[in-house]
Amino acid sequence: MKKNALLLLVAAAFLVGMSMTGLAAPAQAAEPIVLGAPLSTAFLYGWDAERAMALAVEEINAAGGVKVGKTKRPLKLEVIDTRDLEPGVPVSDALMAVEKLILEKKADFIVGGPVRSEAALAAMALLSKHKKISILTTGALTPKYHAVVGKNPDKFKYLFRISGEAKWMVLGELVPCLMDIGKQFKLDKLYIMVQDVAHARAGGGILQKVMSKKGWKVLADPVIFPTGTTDFSMALLDAKKKGAQVIIIWMDMPESAILLKQWYDMKVPALPFGTIIAAAEQPGFWKATEGKGEFCLANVVNAGNAPSNATPWTMKFVNAYKKKYGLEPEGYGTSSSYMSVYVLKDAIERAGSLDPDKVVAALKKTDLMGVYGRIRFDPKTNQIIPSLDPKEGAVGTVFQWQAGKRVVVFPPKIATGKIMLPPWMKTGK
Amino acid sequence: MDILIYGIINSATLALMAMGFTLVYGVSRLPNFAHGALYVLAGYICWLLLNELGIPYILAVFIALAFVAAVGGAMYQFILVRIRGMAISEIIASYAIGLAILEGLRWGGLKGGTFTLAPFVEGSIEILGVSVDWQRLLVVGLGTVLVGLLWIFVNQTRLGLALKGMAQDERAALTLGIDSDRMAVASMALGSLSAAVAALIILPLGSIVVEAGYHVLIMAVAVCIVGGLGSWTGALLAAFVIGFAQILTVAYLGAHFQVVVALLAIIATLILRPSGIFGRQKELEERV
Repeated sequence: MKKNALLLLVAAAFLVGMSMTGLAAPAQAAEPIVLGAPLSTAFLYGWDAERAMALAVEEINAAGGVKVGKTKRPLKLEVIDTRDLEPGVPVSDALMAVEKLILEKKADFIVGGPVRSEAALAAMALLSKHKKISILTTGALTPKYHAVVGKNPDKFKYLFRISGEAKWMVLGELVPCLMDIGKQFKLDKLYIMVQDVAHARAGGGILQKVMSKKGWKVLADPVIFPTGTTDFSMALLDAKKKGAQVIIIWMDMPESAILLKQWYDMKVPALPFGTIIAAAEQPGFWKATEGKGEFCLANVVNAGNAPSNATPWTMKFVNAYKKKYGLEPEGYGTSSSYMSVYVLKDAIERAGSLDPDKVVAALKKTDLMGVYGRIRFDPKTNQIIPSLDPKEGAVGTVFQWQAGKRVVVFPPKIATGKIMLPPWMKTGK
Repeated sequence: MDILIYGIINSATLALMAMGFTLVYGVSRLPNFAHGALYVLAGYICWLLLNELGIPYILAVFIALAFVAAVGGAMYQFILVRIRGMAISEIIASYAIGLAILEGLRWGGLKGGTFTLAPFVEGSIEILGVSVDWQRLLVVGLGTVLVGLLWIFVNQTRLGLALKGMAQDERAALTLGIDSDRMAVASMALGSLSAAVAALIILPLGSIVVEAGYHVLIMAVAVCIVGGLGSWTGALLAAFVIGFAQILTVAYLGAHFQVVVALLAIIATLILRPSGIFGRQKELEERV
């Protein structure tokens, strides 16, 4: 009898202890929903995404988790390094990483990458084979990705992209922004420098055609640099010689900082405009270049990757990121990676299940006001619907480095400042 | 004119990158495949001293140089000495050490393009209508001085002559009382010091990134193979051949082809003249 009473006492104490430490809380006791994130973690577009997703997971878990039917379940982030942004690493390595997340880590959903466009395209068949919902959030800007989904909507119905893509960035943002610059400063001579990767080559080519039709003089075919290039002097001299007034830079390698240092040292009288320029996106860029990157324009794909007031959630996210990591959101994959977790939570809760087909149906009906505007997916291509107005769709951000700060200059609806030219540059005509 | 000026700058950069590798192989027949890693390590140590400890730039440079030289010497003393004379093992071991250093730095946080060193001299000048920044001219100037100093060291000092003696005939040098292991430690330290000097002159032009370690190793190996393993004159000549070939490729064929220039040069050399332009490995040619 005494023994039974003692056992009961121990059991009661254990239960009380469990409830006091929170271990018995439903969200924590339930099996976690595993988010597998294939990311090139040594590079900006990998680690920024990892940090942003970790922040979202932390916030959601702190608020009780994700409601699946009647159960609250926590999220668990499993990150794997795909190394796909590193020069010389084959695409097959990224595919193996994705497969490992699915088979070994038992990921319920894939978010993040693969980051390199070539690897993301190659992973499409694999993800479909495993019926795994994937939301691309960082890197992979190639328009081919959602075009492939659009052509085979049944086969690739599990694949979504919540970040911008090269075609919209060029036609919807870059071209209007360049036209504004041309009008404001009377500039019309363009020189294009791109990295030897799919999205950059495609984007450079589109831009060359479009700007020529718009009356700009594109001074040469896009100059293509291999990943890891450390010297850009010959191309900069060529740009200077040909009288370039705006230099478009499309590079996701950290060495793009060298290009801007050389541009400054040579005092090339042309405005550097990074459609994608990994080095200049980071808040630490100013210190790293001792201010040599001032006046560089950079597109960070989605609002929230630099401070602005695009939506009420934008600065809330920027401040939360800053509080957790000690610096502002860093690269173009940050706000979209953060939002992907919230969008997935929203879809799972509406679907009331983790069943891929039910969650796909819910994702297709997504309509929420996020960090970078209204978030909806194109019903045919599963690509996020872009806009220049945050009330209508996902807005981008072009900022310019001015006196050590990233000042948003485009789109006008969210701009916090005006574009400036470097002092050694004269306006044209 | 821009091809001439930037050809010289590119060649001097390559010569600086390859000097340490050539030196170590030339005097101790040791292929140091950790050369690129030591290059990046020097930059990172200097950055750490400057940014984390707030040490003055000049002092940080000297500490980084001394540290990397010590690491190079220690690599031989504690690891490579055990496999001395076994070329394949030396390559594998030194490459493994290099990998450990580079990937260790990456793991430790060396990511992105924000790790930079300030140029020694700011600003740029126009040379015959071509704009060149002072730091690039410094690469040419200091590169020339460094090659000269190393030549004087190897040919005019007691230690240098001992190193040279080891390279020419190790057994004969041993009979004259020259300690081969001590000389190998000295050559590794000196070669590592050269890699560090190159890093601290070249890296202010860009960023300290892990990938630079692999790039520098490839370029150093290319220069040494084309020039002739262990030949200083050959390495200098090869640096100019590859340096100008790269610039001409960028100017006339396209920037994205420059990456294959060094690799094509290696293949062409191995087919046409396996011992390189000034190589002394006659047995290689006799076999062909």
